[in-house]
Amino acid sequence: MFLSTRALRYSYRKQDPRWVLDRIDLSVRPDEYLLICGASGSGKSTLCRAFNGLIPHFFNGELRGDVEVAGVNTRSQSVADLFRRVGLVFQNPETQLFNHSVHQEIAFGLESLGLDRKEISRRVAESADRIGIARLLPKNPHTLSGGEQQLVAIAAILALRADLLVMDEPYANLDPKNIHRVRAALQTIHGQGIGVVLCEHRLPVTVPDVQRMVVLQRGQVVCDGPPAQLLQADMQPFGLELPLAAAVGRQLGLSPLPLTVESLRAAAPKGVFPEDTRPAAVQPLSENAPCVMRVENVSFEMQGEAILSDVSFSLRKGECLAVVGANGAGKTVLLKHLNGLYRPTRGRVEILGADTRHRKVSQLARLVGVAFQNPNDQFFKLNVKEEILVGARALNCYDESWIQELIGLFHLEPLLDRAPFRLSGGEKKRVAFAAALSARPAILALDEPTAGQGWYFKRALASLLTRLREMGQSVLMVTHDLAFAEQTAHRWLLLARGRVVACGRPWQVMADTGAMALANLEPTDAFRIWSKESKPQEPETEGG
Amino acid sequence: MKRLTQTLDPRTKLLLALFFATGIVGMDGLKGLSGAYGVLLILIGGIGRIRAYGRWLRLVLPMSIFFGAVVWWTADLDAAGFAALKLLALASVFFVFFTTTAPEDMANALVKIGLPYPVAFVLSTALQFVPVMGRKVKNVMDAQRARGIPLEPGWAALRHYPAFLSPVLIQAFQLAEDLAEAMEARGFGLSGRTFMSDYRMRGLDWALVAAGMAVLAVMGLE
Repeated sequence: MFLSTRALRYSYRKQDPRWVLDRIDLSVRPDEYLLICGASGSGKSTLCRAFNGLIPHFFNGELRGDVEVAGVNTRSQSVADLFRRVGLVFQNPETQLFNHSVHQEIAFGLESLGLDRKEISRRVAESADRIGIARLLPKNPHTLSGGEQQLVAIAAILALRADLLVMDEPYANLDPKNIHRVRAALQTIHGQGIGVVLCEHRLPVTVPDVQRMVVLQRGQVVCDGPPAQLLQADMQPFGLELPLAAAVGRQLGLSPLPLTVESLRAAAPKGVFPEDTRPAAVQPLSENAPCVMRVENVSFEMQGEAILSDVSFSLRKGECLAVVGANGAGKTVLLKHLNGLYRPTRGRVEILGADTRHRKVSQLARLVGVAFQNPNDQFFKLNVKEEILVGARALNCYDESWIQELIGLFHLEPLLDRAPFRLSGGEKKRVAFAAALSARPAILALDEPTAGQGWYFKRALASLLTRLREMGQSVLMVTHDLAFAEQTAHRWLLLARGRVVACGRPWQVMADTGAMALANLEPTDAFRIWSKESKPQEPETEGG
Repeated sequence: MKRLTQTLDPRTKLLLALFFATGIVGMDGLKGLSGAYGVLLILIGGIGRIRAYGRWLRLVLPMSIFFGAVVWWTADLDAAGFAALKLLALASVFFVFFTTTAPEDMANALVKIGLPYPVAFVLSTALQFVPVMGRKVKNVMDAQRARGIPLEPGWAALRHYPAFLSPVLIQAFQLAEDLAEAMEARGFGLSGRTFMSDYRMRGLDWALVAAGMAVLAVMGLE
């Protein structure tokens, strides 16, 4: 065994320990492709840190049991000894890239090792070639897309010739196309004989690639084995969502269990699939719901570059509209037009008859409540209750009974006295959504509401959106999570490079293969399984 | 010209910038100062950064005009114009330096001169994260304005400083912590670090440094 843990326990505080990892026994072979999955808070990131020695050498908590790398206990090796054997790629690319160029970024670890110039240059070139990012070498890492940044971080570890690559939620902030790129790179690396440990909670994009999966729950290993075998059991108690193909395959009694839509279709050649596994779509909105927002021929330029071009659509009362598109398609910029943070260069946006060009942001804030992707950008009060009230107070429309309703709706009662900054990612999001609604705006706008969130959160948010729809709340949601948008939105507006390329019911949009290709998106698994218009997937080509 | 700035040793560039700045500070005639500023403009044109300089001016020009206005108030219009131009020229010297020298090159050059590596690294990394923090600041402003907190530049914003400061600071600390962890995982602080880039003072470097010193000496004699 290359890496093994024995009765590993860890707590971030020394006194009165709360075990984040609780008696973990695990062995990893050097050439393995292993998935460690579990809901948020199950201990995935902490386990990653124990693998490469950041625990115990960088974090000063309580460690019991042992971690051994290549037969040596990590307690007796420094991070400096360990980082060339077990390379860790962190979740947030922004904080792990700290050099001026990709070239320098990859060289950094090699300089730490004290290698000579020739060797450094050779290894930088070799590592970049291996995952196809040679053309990025002179660029500044902070100007790259999220997927490219992840690849640079991987290259920086590969250059050290680590035996094992550990990835902490590498897909968290990526859109489908970029996930595909990183997945392909990881498969290549594994094919070259390097072990890969992937920590992720999203099964559909991970289980088809790996040989073995380990499920963590509250710091303990609850299952361990090949995915096709483990997924025969229900994963929902662990906060994990079964890939749709596996769920359907299980109902059909297929063996081995298909993990992708392609293998499902191959295993069930008649192409008849049970309808009861199919996720329910939102019923269409009644025709006579009044219009609350109109966007007319909006174009927007920033520093001479066109970000939005001729965008038009409308939103009706009680409607949930999903603006879908890849990262960089202009979704968030469009969202910021609703409350005047950006004003159109040409065209107009009208909210309940008010032209945003002639209203202040603070006036528009009463009409449109926005929850941005990162809730940390807005928290500044000492407790959750105060945080929710900020908008209502600033806009002079405090209504106690409405606030109580919100607290109930978002299940915030147990959190009210806690500090917003100390909540978990999902709890923070709930507080931010409630805060966005505190002034009772006509429109709720959500920016990537499911980014980085697990199955529990998504399910709760979906039922919440159902409640809001029933209450007649109009919602505009910006997302690249198509499976979520498919189940929660009445209509989709598909954006590609700042243009609307399709608009309509979710399946209508997905059936427009030309528009989907322009937007760099693939249809959802449900569409690919049940839609008559879905054709078998062609082999994918690598995006440049 | 661009090729030249890339081949020069960062230490040469730093020294030349310091010489140039000293020269500008020591000038007392408008003709000389305009000449020096003209040379700077030619340099900026030569390295192909005129547009970036234009954007940068939008930030610096108001500052030098304000400085000039203060001088005008205490002295006269001639002195005001001279002072404003002096500040502008001085700032432009460092614009040229920073656009031709990557932060790491500067840091590594300082290490060569004798500054401890961690100190130099912190300097260059801080520069590297200025745009990242800039984006964070913008996100926080947008998020709070969207909630009806008036953070538009002005006196009203001062009253709401916690809404702006707390999210920015807390995230800055978090960023620093994550960064430290990521650096540790890549062997920062190991002894025996080598450098990929080769910093060597060549003939041209020495010649330019000598020329710069000579010009300064002549100016001093006058």
